[in-house]
Amino acid sequence: MASRFSSLQLQRRLYTTTNQWSVRQVRNSDFHSCLGELKNHISDSDFIALSLQNTGSSSFPWHRLHPFDTHDTAYCKAKYAAEKFQILQFALCPFSVRESNLIAHPYNFHLFPRDELNIGMPSYSFSCQVSHLTSMAREGFDFDACIYDGISYLSRAQESIAKVRIGCPTLTPSTNVVKSSSKPSVADSIFVQRVKSRVKNWKDACNSSTKTNDALLIVLEKLVVGSEPYGLRPSMTIDVCSERQVLLVLELLMEFSDDLVPVVIPAKGGGTRAIRAILTSSKEDKILLEKELQKLEEEENKKFCGFREVIDMISASQKPIVSYSPLNDFTFIHSKFLAPLPTSIDEFASSLHLVFPRVLDVKHLMSKIGGLSKPNSIASALSYLKNHYYAPIDLDIPVEATGNDHKFHGHNAIRLCHLFAKVCSVLKIDLSGFQSNNNNCLASMLDGCANVPCSFSPYHCEREDEDIKIWTKNVRKVSCRHLVFLWGFRDGMTARLLKTALEGSHEVFCEEFDVRFVDKKCAIVVFWEPGLSETFLDAINSDGIVGSLREMVSEGLRAAGYETYKRVCRLDLWEADLAESLERAMLEHPSISEAGPETVRLDINYSNDSLIYLNDL
Amino acid sequence: MDPSRSLSALPRLLCFIKTAAYSSAAVTAPTIASNSSFPLKNVTKLNFEAALSELRTHVRAADFVAVDLEMTGITSAPWRESLEFDRFDIRYLKVKDSAEKFAVVQFGVCPFRWDSAKNSFVAHPHNFFVFPRHEIQVDGPSSEFLCQTTSMEFLAKYQFDFNACIREGISYLSRAHEDAARKRLNFAYGDEMSDASSNVIRDKKRIGIADVLFKERMKNRLHEWRDRLLSERNMEFQGQEGSNDYHRQFQTIFFKMRPALTLSDFTSHQIRLIQLVIKKHFEDLCFVVVNDGDDSLQQLVVYVDSRDDKELLMQEVNSDQKEAAEMKIQSAIGFRHVIDLLASEKKLIIGHNCFLDIAHIHTKFIGSLPSTAEEFVSSIGKHFPYIMDTKILLNGNSILQRRMKKSSTSLSSAFGLLCPHIAFSSQSNPAFKSGVRVEVQVDDLRSSNWNSGDKHEAGYDAFMTGCVFAQACNLIGIDFALRSPSENLVDNENLQKHVNHLYLSWASGDIIDLSTGNRMTESLRSNRSKKYQAKISFENIVLIWGFPTNLNAREIKECISKVFGLTNVVSVYHLDESAVFVQFAKPEMVSEFLNLKENLERHDDPISVLHPLTKLFEARTTHAAGYEAYKKICSSPISKLLFGDQAEAVGINRKMALIKSETVKSQMHEAVEMLNETTEIQGMEMGVNDLSSTNYHSLRSSSM
Repeated sequence: MASRFSSLQLQRRLYTTTNQWSVRQVRNSDFHSCLGELKNHISDSDFIALSLQNTGSSSFPWHRLHPFDTHDTAYCKAKYAAEKFQILQFALCPFSVRESNLIAHPYNFHLFPRDELNIGMPSYSFSCQVSHLTSMAREGFDFDACIYDGISYLSRAQESIAKVRIGCPTLTPSTNVVKSSSKPSVADSIFVQRVKSRVKNWKDACNSSTKTNDALLIVLEKLVVGSEPYGLRPSMTIDVCSERQVLLVLELLMEFSDDLVPVVIPAKGGGTRAIRAILTSSKEDKILLEKELQKLEEEENKKFCGFREVIDMISASQKPIVSYSPLNDFTFIHSKFLAPLPTSIDEFASSLHLVFPRVLDVKHLMSKIGGLSKPNSIASALSYLKNHYYAPIDLDIPVEATGNDHKFHGHNAIRLCHLFAKVCSVLKIDLSGFQSNNNNCLASMLDGCANVPCSFSPYHCEREDEDIKIWTKNVRKVSCRHLVFLWGFRDGMTARLLKTALEGSHEVFCEEFDVRFVDKKCAIVVFWEPGLSETFLDAINSDGIVGSLREMVSEGLRAAGYETYKRVCRLDLWEADLAESLERAMLEHPSISEAGPETVRLDINYSNDSLIYLNDL
Repeated sequence: MDPSRSLSALPRLLCFIKTAAYSSAAVTAPTIASNSSFPLKNVTKLNFEAALSELRTHVRAADFVAVDLEMTGITSAPWRESLEFDRFDIRYLKVKDSAEKFAVVQFGVCPFRWDSAKNSFVAHPHNFFVFPRHEIQVDGPSSEFLCQTTSMEFLAKYQFDFNACIREGISYLSRAHEDAARKRLNFAYGDEMSDASSNVIRDKKRIGIADVLFKERMKNRLHEWRDRLLSERNMEFQGQEGSNDYHRQFQTIFFKMRPALTLSDFTSHQIRLIQLVIKKHFEDLCFVVVNDGDDSLQQLVVYVDSRDDKELLMQEVNSDQKEAAEMKIQSAIGFRHVIDLLASEKKLIIGHNCFLDIAHIHTKFIGSLPSTAEEFVSSIGKHFPYIMDTKILLNGNSILQRRMKKSSTSLSSAFGLLCPHIAFSSQSNPAFKSGVRVEVQVDDLRSSNWNSGDKHEAGYDAFMTGCVFAQACNLIGIDFALRSPSENLVDNENLQKHVNHLYLSWASGDIIDLSTGNRMTESLRSNRSKKYQAKISFENIVLIWGFPTNLNAREIKECISKVFGLTNVVSVYHLDESAVFVQFAKPEMVSEFLNLKENLERHDDPISVLHPLTKLFEARTTHAAGYEAYKKICSSPISKLLFGDQAEAVGINRKMALIKSETVKSQMHEAVEMLNETTEIQGMEMGVNDLSSTNYHSLRSSSM
């Protein structure tokens, strides 16, 4: 009893001190100084929680993720948002759990896509959702901090483009030079001969100790031979006209490889301008130079990648990442820090898996707790757990020396670790044992239920079983083929009215069906009997429609199957109203009858209780 | 001018040099202390009401009003910037795109009034923070806006206060949105006039025993209360249910001269049950919901004398609610009150290179932008009959041109050159005494001495614009001291020819006349771009995109010249890295080129492989189209970063490109556009199976 009392007290203490959690606020000016510390915290922790604050999520009701979305359409929606909006704050929290003690190191990174290199990257422009910004402002978000002193970044893909555009010299590892495959042409051999003699002459001249100090001679030498000192070492520049010649020159220089180091100088805007050969005095000197060049390149890289250094750090640590809505978070992360998002969710999942092999979906993990629907926010999930379960987790946040920023926003990442620890405690998953890597049971348990790349992909998931177990009562599953989208009815229609109107209009509506509004102008009809949706779609498009359905169609009623909806998402037809988008899809992109077998298999959850009659609200 | 003076002024002048494009990062940033001593009235939603009523009097008394806007961006993609090969209608489309996508975050308004007693102007600079927050529910695309990264950086560099803007910015409602909101209001209160209580009640079949008990108890309570009311009717009513003290949930008050009970601390389900009880058992009680101020709803049970009285009460309640909603709309109009004020006073509006500003004003505060410049001009003329652009004035008047000595006509540069006595007034110098005097008044404080203000604060920029205008007027012979107060500045013969002329694009010198809708190219400008402009014939232009990225303009020109001859390819011009314009010498070469392309792609024989154009079409992703396709691409609401991606997204396919190429004569454009539309409608009626091909065929036959 006593122990229980004390832990209750502990919990109370925890809730009262919420606003004093010290979260390290990182901006551009102190970004580099915090990296070393962050690296240590990451390597000492078992997990990394992350949470993003973006400039928007979805401006129109149907752009949001809905229960009737499949993996594919959900991905399309997330992709659309990730490409459009911008990350303003990246909350990161490396943490471990030791005997119901949560040790966390929260960081808040303020980001802004500043064009540091003046090349129109990382982002020419971005969208802001007015309501989203307004609610962020209400919570006290500091926009000035982001825009004035946010950390910029380049994605991996952008970095390579930027390097080409700016023209950074790169060191070619001599081992990587591929032998030119094709036979040398006459022009090639003439070119090689000429370069060879030039290099030879230059090398001889360098080696002969007669050093001239005559300025005129040096200038002449530079003009004629292309020789100029590279630091303390002599070097010469060999101009090239094509990638083929680059290869030839590199091959040629390999013959001198005992003391020559080639550096490729790219032209601004792609391609190679020249190759610089640097003469070293000995083997040791050559290794020294190569190391120097390598270091120079790394420095240069740091200048380019900005905040992405943190992403690379997380990726390199291979720690499991805890996220509350991974699909949203990682589409953003992929598009801003890795590369443009691929078109299909499978490509996305595999591309992401290479960088972040283990992502844990807390929302999904929560659904394992019986009788719980998925709460939308971390805060509501936490309060639900607090009211229904006994799961004492003590928070232990070491106060940073510089942690004088007591902002009451930006606690999402730390709330997330807290939630994760609690959920695991309710599910009897022991996180303390995680650091001893032999705990295979734990790893498989977590992976099995929450690994995101797995649950992203429709092919290797066992959703059916899971979902039925959790929501045996209130979830009726329906194949997406049984859904029909309806639009073009009069203004101010409610689900109930529409259902009544439909009931007598056609024989298919004698069977059980439901109506749900997606947005103001578009509704979904769910047929619980198979085959009826096709019958209805055929009927509405045929000449022989009669009765009140005919009346409704002449008033403007239109219908489309789920295939059209998928096409809307795939073709990026994101109009404000779904009706508009569906219409465009039907008119401008007529169906390329491709209802392959893969689409047929996909099932979606259709929860009866989550039916929202928009107009009844 | 005193040479030593001009030398010392030089470094300060340098600070004023700003490039025409807002997005340019290469601005020499003046190091301004953020607590500038320039008096400026900052207005947020906290002091908006008061500032507005004050502004009303200032605007009414003003001779002219200068305005300036700060936006979150200028162009939504690099190729949307003003290009040399943009036709007049395309230039409008680009401005339209910018005004529709970006938000206005600061609005400077500065009324200028001539004070004959003091022989100087009095200026009232106002700096409004604006943010498109939704105070009431509105439909449409206004729920998001775009930010151009470089513009945000630019604003940040000049210490723009984003927090103030987002947290306390004044919201607004355009006329169109206001109408929509009002329509919704009428809809909501029109239909349900009859019985406001009917919409909630529905007796559900499943009623638990708890509900039955609760209903019984409520029935008794209400009976008790009513009976007590009736028994005390002839006595003085004392509201003494407190002695009984059974609940603080019930409290007797008076509502519209009738005794009423307030219901508090009930759940919505319980409220629903109470409603049922009232409806079933009490003829003389009435359930109403009223909104008491700050969005909280109060449920009341009101005693009514009769059926008529009940109806009367419901009407009163309804009209109250309607009024409240009306008030809400009124307050949601927010910043548009300022625009309405400027429009209704019909004052001369002064801006600097302000076509984009005017387009923003139209789309944000009046209604969505029409699709052509002509319609835009007629719409804006209804609201703002007199607009004067100082940049036009400076470039269009020979006296002013001489005075400007070919230096930049950007706002800060012009301000520094024309109004040194204002710009550098802290160091008073006799050389500067010649100019028009301007005093600044903020609230009750007047001053004519201050340090220079925060550039790119909209309020200060509006002030500078007004000063430049006043000084320019003075230089071209308008003597404010001699002018009678009734005389309108607009009627002055020297100004008249510039009124309502705005640069559609400053770079090209295209001017639009807002009074007539006529377009013209600047006459006084004598640089090469004008001559070049004259040579462009848009029907000779072909647009190519999607070609191999390593090809540059020179190589493309070479490659096409091999087929069409060196003299027939006039120029090749990059839109961006993914697309080029190719200008041919003759219009028929456009269709020749497009046909050639199609033929080459159809045949895959050795001869076509050897064809010089194969180098260009090799990638198979290469597309080409006539100039009309460019217009279609520009009018799309989509904005992809690269032109090639944009063209793809808009869906310009080969068939369409060919249609466009048939329309060789520019006079035919309009007709074909119309034809295009009609056939589209026909196509729709025929069925949706292959719209584009029917369209194509019918058009081809018609143009042959």
